[in-house]
Amino acid sequence: MIEPEELVGDELAEWYRLTPVQRWLETEKLWQTYLALGGSLDPEPDTQSPFFHPPASRPRAADGRTGLRVVRRGRV
Amino acid sequence: MGGQACVLYGAAEFSRDTDFAILAGASNLARLRRALAELQAEVIAVPPFEISYLHRGHAIHFRCQHPEALRVRLDVISKMRGVDSFEKLWQRRVSIELPDRTKCEVLSLPDLLQAKKTQRDKDWPMIRRLVEAHYFSNRSHAMLAQVRFWLKELRTPELLVEVCHSNSTLTRRLSATRPLLLKASAGDLMGLAVELETEEASERERDRLYWAPLRRELEALRHAKRG
Repeated sequence: MIEPEELVGDELAEWYRLTPVQRWLETEKLWQTYLALGGSLDPEPDTQSPFFHPPASRPRAADGRTGLRVVRRGRV
Repeated sequence: MGGQACVLYGAAEFSRDTDFAILAGASNLARLRRALAELQAEVIAVPPFEISYLHRGHAIHFRCQHPEALRVRLDVISKMRGVDSFEKLWQRRVSIELPDRTKCEVLSLPDLLQAKKTQRDKDWPMIRRLVEAHYFSNRSHAMLAQVRFWLKELRTPELLVEVCHSNSTLTRRLSATRPLLLKASAGDLMGLAVELETEEASERERDRLYWAPLRRELEALRHAKRG
């Protein structure tokens, strides 16, 4: 019999062995960290989705902050 | 029915929005409107939140403005390609109670897989992982219905070969509807991988065709909105 580790590696095999509720709780922890780091709730643009529309799907930065833009560059 | 359902069934997914399959009836939509009002959810993009769009298979997209759910994205859909009516989905749903006693009503795994058979690259590895997780959790005490499910849905060549070898009669019977099972019975991993790719390409094409008129309708709505 093929063991999960042989197919998907240790990490995913361990994830498979969790119960649904355990997986949910682990994801919640990940969410807390993500939000604490300032993660954005905007979904990533999904260019293959039938709903994708470039002007409506432009994401904010993943950290939710304004992006940096170089306005002037000094000579090297 | 989206990323959160996939997590419950075994996928490692980090989805930033929440997708709901809903019954698009007048009274249910009235309840949904009240819930969305509580969340201060606003429709974003097109189409507008109207029952006719849900009946035609469109999804409606919302963003919440309530401080406790600020900027959370919600999508609702009522009709999906190749997926049964909401009534049947509801009968087959799986109820999962979370530690805080919140009850989640989730699409059954076979229905979730059907909903995931789209034109998008990212859905196909997900389907594979979901069936693998189900197989590894249940193979030691498998019931006939589960073996049938694996023979119909597994997308991992090595596991398909394993299931076919221990269920030859059922494999022969189901190969009429899924011919690639013959490659699996023969232990032909390379041939099986090719057949799985063909099967995927064919589903993706069906999804593209299904969405073509809906995409045109969305484009017309965007055009009208721009004026």
